[in-house]
Amino acid sequence: MPGLTKPLQPPTGSALAAEPVITVRGVTKTFGETTALKNASLTVARGEIVVLLGLSGSGKSTLLRHLDGLDRPDTGTVTVLGATVSRLTGRPLRALRGRVGFVFQQFELVGPLTVLENVLTGALFRVRGPRLGLWGYRRELKLAALGHLERVGLLAHAYQRADTLSGGQQQRVGIARALMQNPDILLADEPVASLDPESSAQVMALIREIAIDSDLTVVCSLHQVDLALSWGDRIVGLRHGEVVLDTSTQGLSKQNVMEIYGRVTTSTGELDAIETEIGTVEQNEPEEPVEPDEPDEQDELDLQTFASARDNRR
Amino acid sequence: MTLTLDRRRPGQADAEAPAQRAPRYRAQPEKIAAGLTLLALVVASVLSLISVDISLPRMTASWENAARFFDRVGVISFPAPGELLYLTALTVGLVLLGTLFAAFFSVPLAWLAAANTSPGRGWMGLARFLGVLARSVPDVVLAMVFVLMFSLGTLPGILAIGIHSIGMISKMFADAIEQIDEGPRLAIRAAGGSRSQEFFAGVLPQVLPSWVATVLHRNDINLRGSVILGYVGVAGLGLEMSYAFKSLNYSLGLGIALVIFALCVVMEIVSSAVRVVMLGQAPTGRGLGDRLLRRLGVTGVTADASHRPWTYARVRNAVWGMLFVLIVVGSVWICDINWGDFLTVWSYLPETAAKFWPPSFGSYTAPVMLAAMGETIAIALAATILTIVASIVVGSLAARNVAPSRRVRSGMRLVLVAIRGIPEIILAIVLIVVTGLGAQAGTIALAIGGIGLLGKLLADSLEEVKPGPEQALTAAGATRLQVYAGATVPQGMKALVGHSFYMLDTNIRAATILGLVGGGGVGYYLLNAGQGSRYDLVTTIVLMILVSVLLVEGLAVWMRRVFR
Repeated sequence: MPGLTKPLQPPTGSALAAEPVITVRGVTKTFGETTALKNASLTVARGEIVVLLGLSGSGKSTLLRHLDGLDRPDTGTVTVLGATVSRLTGRPLRALRGRVGFVFQQFELVGPLTVLENVLTGALFRVRGPRLGLWGYRRELKLAALGHLERVGLLAHAYQRADTLSGGQQQRVGIARALMQNPDILLADEPVASLDPESSAQVMALIREIAIDSDLTVVCSLHQVDLALSWGDRIVGLRHGEVVLDTSTQGLSKQNVMEIYGRVTTSTGELDAIETEIGTVEQNEPEEPVEPDEPDEQDELDLQTFASARDNRR
Repeated sequence: MTLTLDRRRPGQADAEAPAQRAPRYRAQPEKIAAGLTLLALVVASVLSLISVDISLPRMTASWENAARFFDRVGVISFPAPGELLYLTALTVGLVLLGTLFAAFFSVPLAWLAAANTSPGRGWMGLARFLGVLARSVPDVVLAMVFVLMFSLGTLPGILAIGIHSIGMISKMFADAIEQIDEGPRLAIRAAGGSRSQEFFAGVLPQVLPSWVATVLHRNDINLRGSVILGYVGVAGLGLEMSYAFKSLNYSLGLGIALVIFALCVVMEIVSSAVRVVMLGQAPTGRGLGDRLLRRLGVTGVTADASHRPWTYARVRNAVWGMLFVLIVVGSVWICDINWGDFLTVWSYLPETAAKFWPPSFGSYTAPVMLAAMGETIAIALAATILTIVASIVVGSLAARNVAPSRRVRSGMRLVLVAIRGIPEIILAIVLIVVTGLGAQAGTIALAIGGIGLLGKLLADSLEEVKPGPEQALTAAGATRLQVYAGATVPQGMKALVGHSFYMLDTNIRAATILGLVGGGGVGYYLLNAGQGSRYDLVTTIVLMILVSVLLVEGLAVWMRRVFR
């Protein structure tokens, strides 16, 4: 396999012929002592479905966050939909973010709000000023939101509180919220890492279906090799913030991927780690720039917060 | 349909279709009822504001009064240095002992009241009821009673502060117990530990930081509240101040007020320093104690593995601990407690109880007293609504995730600390003395004082919301204000409602106490009844306050349940 002997080479095939919607050139990003991205480059063409594959801490989340302007590179450039993300601020940045949907590992729905309100928050970049409650949104936005909810199969739950749904359902609301943006690009950061296998399969199938239906460009980070192989069109492997693999999934087997990781892995300990990782079907892995899984419980009142010493430690 | 949805999803020709198939939005009747109650409360608060007559012309008029007043007072004077020092030490010692008394008795009460440690539902109910009862009876009333039963001195004050504080401290202790991680306790039980071992090894270490914070916080509150105890005869700075104002010696009165204010600020700083020392997870090694120890040549020495090494941290903690014990011993000494009172008091008990029962309206008619209570509630409502509006602004800007810049946040936090430092009773006394306005001055004092508390609670609650949803909205291209309204506020709403009711609850009691110093409402009658030995009327007034506070508490519980 010629593509595999030189993992750093961009993939060959029809995808390259199309115009690139995402171009990452030589991006390096450090958080204090740790280097999250090291001279990472990536080009994604319109309509591609790309999987970012790597262990936790390999820089997948950081790369995704750069694509939406949530993080800024130390060096290098990120161009998305023709705009240099790292140079944008204010309204142009928000306009770009509006065209890029983002699906989170922890769903990140506003728990006390209804499902419908959560979907509508995806339209915020299109309206001026803050919105409190449902009555703040125009009727056509509400109809569109209901349409997206039907698309993800949750129409019946439109007026239910978001935090009463199961994990799989919440992630589908998250997808509907991203669709509400009418995005050109959909980014998904470990969308199924917090879900059981059955919900995972549902959610991944839904994302792919929607991507093909709506002609979306998708970049999705995953850590399960099996899933990445069967789901994506193209795999970009990251290790310690470096792109070590970039190839089409066609004709690629798990064995091939293992070989590649084996080739670039320096110590046997790391190899073991990769094998363990690959062997794991489902694992909840927080990456360092992303907040760890917060306990959902928002304490009810009150005096307790007052007593909490947290503030004094700040 | 202008939306591009149809273009993207050709199969969906009619965008109206899902709207027709969607379930109708049905508001639960209970939610509507709760919403209407909230609305009614807001309307009542606005009406109260009008009835208390807070308006700009009135305020400018009172400002002129103030200018005239200060012309007359001239220079502010203080008591002699020795006396001042003694009075300050006495006040601090008395408050500290009262708080510690409450903390001590709150431990078993909290253990009984916490759902996960309580031996039974009956015990739990009893403990919670005792807590609510202790909270509902103002410490001033308790002090009135104890002044009757004990010889004059500090004991009535200590007991009044102590018993009243049990209400809040035991509740917060119990809340802390309920929030622990059950794992360690279970592990101790699994290893064959007894109930008390479970408590001391499994529960106590987990709740201790929160408990310490609670006690320190309550101590600050008690110091600010101790002023008013002087008005019913408890020794200390408050008593001297009340004497000064009663004898129209305004320059001395204002001087003592200034001293109390300074004392409160110092105490606030000290207690936050203690909190940092005791609760900071990683000692910085750069604090005052560390520098002192280093100068003395104490270093971390490990001698023998069977003894815990005397590291910096351990030496420092030991030194602070001994200092604390010394302060407590000093407090007991300076308060000069008449221990014999504890033996003689029992003989007065039946006699005193008979004075307070049965309740009656005394020489007043029921409508007069109810109107007075109404005025107190109006002051509380008016102050609460002013506080809420101001706190939403200040508190939001003081929250890290809302403030537009670090500087704004620090500035607002500083404002909140400064406001908390001012005892509202001092503010009220000064406002009343200076501007000569009753209910109006009381309302303004309560409203300003409330911002310090509600603003901080709100800022903390907003900072504690899950950051993920905020980030999700940012990722979708929302502005800061949209993120605030769309993710931060909905998550913090429940806390806002809860804090606001807590504020109202506090304000009703505070408004009563303001009446004692001329702030209008039922407090005036309370003081008169106490001084005129009409104790049956005192009982009536206390019962009225109790009913109001319990009503608010009930409403708060209901609101918290509905607006989960």
